[in-house]
Parts: sequence; C-alpha cells; structure tokens
Amino acid sequence: MMKRKYLMAAAAAVLLGTAFGAQAQDKEPVRIGTIAPLSGPGAFDGQLAVEGMEAMVEIVNENGGILDGRMIELVKYDDKGNPEEGVSAAKRAIEQDDVDAIVGGWFSSVALTMKEVTRDRIINVMTSTQHPNTTKEGHKYLFRLNATSVMMSETYAKFICDKMDIETIAFITINDDYGRLEVENYERLLDECGIEVLGNEFYNKDDTDFTTALTKLKALDSDAIYVSAINTAQGATIYRQIKQSGYKGTTIASAGNMNPKLVELSGPALEGVYSVSLFAPDSDSEKLKAWMEQYGEMFSNEPSFIGSLGAQAVELLAGAMDEAGSARDYDKIAEALRGHEWETILGTINFDEIGQAMQNIYLVQVKDGEITSVNE
Amino acid sequence: MDYVVFAQQLTNGLVNGMTYVLIATGLTLVFGVLHIINFAHGEFYMLGAFFTYFAAKLLGLDYISAAVVATLGVAVLGIFANRLFFWPLRKEHEFTVLLSSLGLALLLTNGGELIFGADPKYVPSPFADSVFEVGQLIVTQQRVLIFVVGALVLFGLNLFIRHSRMGKMMRATAQNPEGAALSGVNIRQVYTVTFVLACGLAALAGALVGPTAMIFPTVGSWAVLKGFIVVILGGLGSIPGALIGGLTLGVVESLAGGYISLGFAQAIGYAIIIVVLLWRPQGLFGTARRT
Repeated sequence: MMKRKYLMAAAAAVLLGTAFGAQAQDKEPVRIGTIAPLSGPGAFDGQLAVEGMEAMVEIVNENGGILDGRMIELVKYDDKGNPEEGVSAAKRAIEQDDVDAIVGGWFSSVALTMKEVTRDRIINVMTSTQHPNTTKEGHKYLFRLNATSVMMSETYAKFICDKMDIETIAFITINDDYGRLEVENYERLLDECGIEVLGNEFYNKDDTDFTTALTKLKALDSDAIYVSAINTAQGATIYRQIKQSGYKGTTIASAGNMNPKLVELSGPALEGVYSVSLFAPDSDSEKLKAWMEQYGEMFSNEPSFIGSLGAQAVELLAGAMDEAGSARDYDKIAEALRGHEWETILGTINFDEIGQAMQNIYLVQVKDGEITSVNE
Repeated sequence: MDYVVFAQQLTNGLVNGMTYVLIATGLTLVFGVLHIINFAHGEFYMLGAFFTYFAAKLLGLDYISAAVVATLGVAVLGIFANRLFFWPLRKEHEFTVLLSSLGLALLLTNGGELIFGADPKYVPSPFADSVFEVGQLIVTQQRVLIFVVGALVLFGLNLFIRHSRMGKMMRATAQNPEGAALSGVNIRQVYTVTFVLACGLAALAGALVGPTAMIFPTVGSWAVLKGFIVVILGGLGSIPGALIGGLTLGVVESLAGGYISLGFAQAIGYAIIIVVLLWRPQGLFGTARRT
C-alpha cells in the first residue's frame, strides 16, 4: 500500500517535472545573482538595494523581458557586510547556482575581496562601493556604477571650500578601507584651499555609541564636523548624538550616503545638512519617475540612492545583454557596456577602459525633512 | 589634559557602564542561580527596545508607559523561554543547554528581522534631546535616566534577593539545587522567577538605551558580548561583580577611547577577558568553585 503511494507520488513528480521543464525550455530566465548585506547592521541598506533592483526587474519583465522574451530573475545572497561572506556568496553564485551575471559590491571592503573571485569569469557590476581600487585593480568583466571616493571628494571638496564659509574641520570616520581613504582625500583637498583639519576619530562598524568620539571632536572646537557613515543605523545615531552633544557648528554628511530613512531617523539633527549624490529624487527624468512609481507600488520604503544604483545595474545589464544577443557571451556584453553612452534612470552614463562609470554628481541638502538638489 | 573633557568622558563611561550593568546582571543571575549560560540574553535586550518602539507606535503610549509595558512583556516572554527551552533541559549536560540558548538567540534574531523588518528604528523619547548642563558638562536627560533607573533597580534587586522569601529560595538553589529541593524549595518556581527577572532586566536596558541609538534586530549580539565581558570581569554569578565590572568596563572603554584611540576601546574588552581569565579565572568578585 505504502509502496503504491510512493510510486504514484514519484510518477506525479516526473510528470510535473517534464511539464515545467518544457515551459522552461521556451523561456529560461536570465538569472542575476545579487550579493548584498541582508543581515547585520547594513541589512537595511541591503534591503533598499535589492528593492531597487526588484522594481527595475519588474519594469523590464513587464516590457517583455530581454533577449526575445526571457524574463530576468534575481537570485539573492547575503554578504552580511563581511568580506569573507561576500567571497563565499560569489563562489556559490558562480559554481553552484551558475548565475548569468553578478551585481554586488555595496560596501567597499566586500567589493575589494569579492572581485578576485569573479575576476575574468563572470560579468560583475559593482554598485555603491567608492574605493578607487575596486576598478583600478579590476578586471575585464568588472564595472562600477558609483563615482569613486576620489571623484566624489573632488566635487564635494570644491563645494565645501567655496560655499560653506568654514576655516577648520574635524572628521568622524568609519574604520575600514573606505573611511581611511576618505580622510586621506579630504585632508589633502581641504588643505589645498586653506581649511585646516583639526582631527579625525575612527569608529568601528558595530559601534552603537559615539559619545566618546564626539566628546573628543567637540573639544577641538572646529567650524564643521564631517561625518563619514556608510550605514544608515550608525549614521542616524551619529547625527543625533552630535546634536545632543551640544555641538553648534556645521555638520557635513559624507558623499553618497543620504537617504530618506536617514532623514526620518535623524529627525531635526539632519536639517540643513549637505551631501552629494548621483541620485536627486526631485529630478524630472521620465525613466527615474517610472522607476520611482514602480518602487512605490511594490514597497513601503522611499526610493533611495542605493536602490537607484541597483536599478541602474539591472537596466544596464538588460540593455547590454540585448545588444550582445546573449546572456553568457561576456566579451560581447562588456564590449557593449564600454561601447557607448547609456541613457539610464540616473541620466547619461558611460564607462572608461577599466569599467569605471562617469555620471552626474548632484549637490543635495535636507530642507524641511526632504532631500532636495541644490541649484547654483 | 582638559578637565572638562575628562569629566565628560568619565560621565559617558559611567552611563554606558550602567547599561552594561543592567545587561550583565540578568546574565549573571541566571548563571549564579541556575548555572545556565544564556547566549539568548542579548535578544531579550533587543526585544525590550523593539517592544518599547511598538508599544509607543501601535498603542500610542508615551515613552515611560511604553518602556514599562515592554519590560513586563519581555519578562512574560521569559516565562515561556524557561518553560519551552531551559526547564525541559535542566538535567541535560551544560553544553546542550548552552547550544540550545544559542539556537534560541538565532531564532529570535532572525524572527525579529522577519517580523520587525531589517530597517533601523528610532525609539522616540522626550528625554533624548533635552540636555542637562552642569557647567560645561553636557548630558542628555535620557542618559541621566539610564543611570538613575539602573541604580534604583539594582538596589531593589539586591533587597529582593537578600530579604524576600523568594530571594532566599533563589540563594538556596544557587548553593545546592538538590539540597534546596529536599528542604522544600520549589525549584520550578525559582527557575521561573529567575528568568522573569533576567529577561525583564535585559528588556529594561533595551528600553532605556533604545532612544540613545538606532535599534535593529541584530543589536542583541552586541549586548550579549558586552554582558559576557562584564560577567567575566566581575565573576560569573556575582551581582556586585556585575555592578563594579560594568561600570569599570564603561569607564575604561571611554577613557581608553578618549585618550588612546577608539579602535583600542573595543579591543580592551577582549583584553580584559584574557587578562582576567589568566590571572583570576573566577573574576574579581567571584568565588572559585571546585567540581
């Protein structure tokens, strides 16, 4: 009796399997592996990133997919914001799951180690990492969307020097590859225009209290404090604690790390604070509006910068695969990406020889709880 | 060396230290009375913060009522944690219990991410941004509240354990569970009360610290780590040890961070563990046990 049941179940499974198999042969999806911090202190940023991608995947699929009707499917991996986890996720994506392309590199420390696993094996679009070495030591299939911290800091430093009317500055920076480079860049750039750097405090990526660092910085009595915080939870805590410490000077937020959740969590502590970003939510690009609308329909969070980068990655991969006529011919896809300018949700983008993107950088400021672009 | 900065760092350290004390007291109580090392302790801290957030948001309570509701709510969860996990395992090997508590910790963290969402949240408190100024020394009212409530609760707990009937039963169980049971102590009740106290204390710490930093579901792993450092420093099972150990860790971290470097502040906790284990494994206030 039992045996018969098992047999029937097995037969049913085989039938089902062939049915699905036949369907899959028609339109096998293009699978994009997305490696993002889905747990740990960076979890929310990872969630925003993946949501941005999902909204764009939905748009592409609704318009009939790519490569004559193949749908895009996201395969998600959690890197926990750790370089080691990022490496093992990339290995799993390539070796076990055999994905067609990888989108990752939200944090620099992860991107820098992960790129060695994907080197010359698979198309890898790096997103929000700002460390120059991500592309400098990159490989022929690697592309990075965000501006490097060097590019960002050159634009930002110019603005800080020209517009902010400060003579001295102090830094509070995250103690990782990205943070150390930030301090180095700004010390040089701001020194060139005569702003004196009074000091810097490094904090660790799982710190939850910053009063010790802020007490030290406050005692330096600088005109401005530059906050380099890549994750939203720590950023919001720092901005609030700066305000609570009674600091009266200007607060400057690091480039590319302004998002609606940060504004919501920081409350009045973030009012009037400046940052620079590739994403200006009040831009009037039609593509951006369509994506933001789709995002709003699918998710309860506000569309964010890292979400828009994720969406841009999907958009570019879809375009380049279509142009190359294949999801697996990596030489052709890379050639397509490098070949010409692309019109995307964040405006015009083109890639240089090492896969570094050139994009517009906007200056933004928090006004009445909204991130608005500053027009000069 | 500027004395204002020094005083400010000392104050920062004492307040941070008091949160460590609140976290560590529950941990040390569960070990001292029941000989259980509870890795899930930090998750009750996390739940305390999140319950406060949701009590304020969904029930429309003010901060203080929300904190009280959250503390009581998590204390009740302590009863369930005990009934479902720790009580059934009481006769198993210590490692089994330890691993189960690790499992419970993972369950609560991931469950938290699923139910509360991974996005960081902020527990609003009217005291968070209001500032006390004493000369040039600046402390937010929230931080004063942490210190005062912490001190009062510890004082109350001490009275309870020393003088109440249940406190005496707990101490008897700590000394010799079989002996206590033979002389009529209700061990089951002692388990329940100990977990209620421990989880309540962790939740209270979460509710108090919530408004000073953003909360997210993995914040418990930070809490339990600090708790263990304090408990090892002060001696497993010793409540005065948790008090002195917690305040010492807070002040040492703050001064080391302030005058040496912040990177060092975090390392110092681990350095303390190693030094104490080498030099005085029973902790500063613990008594050596022979087994």
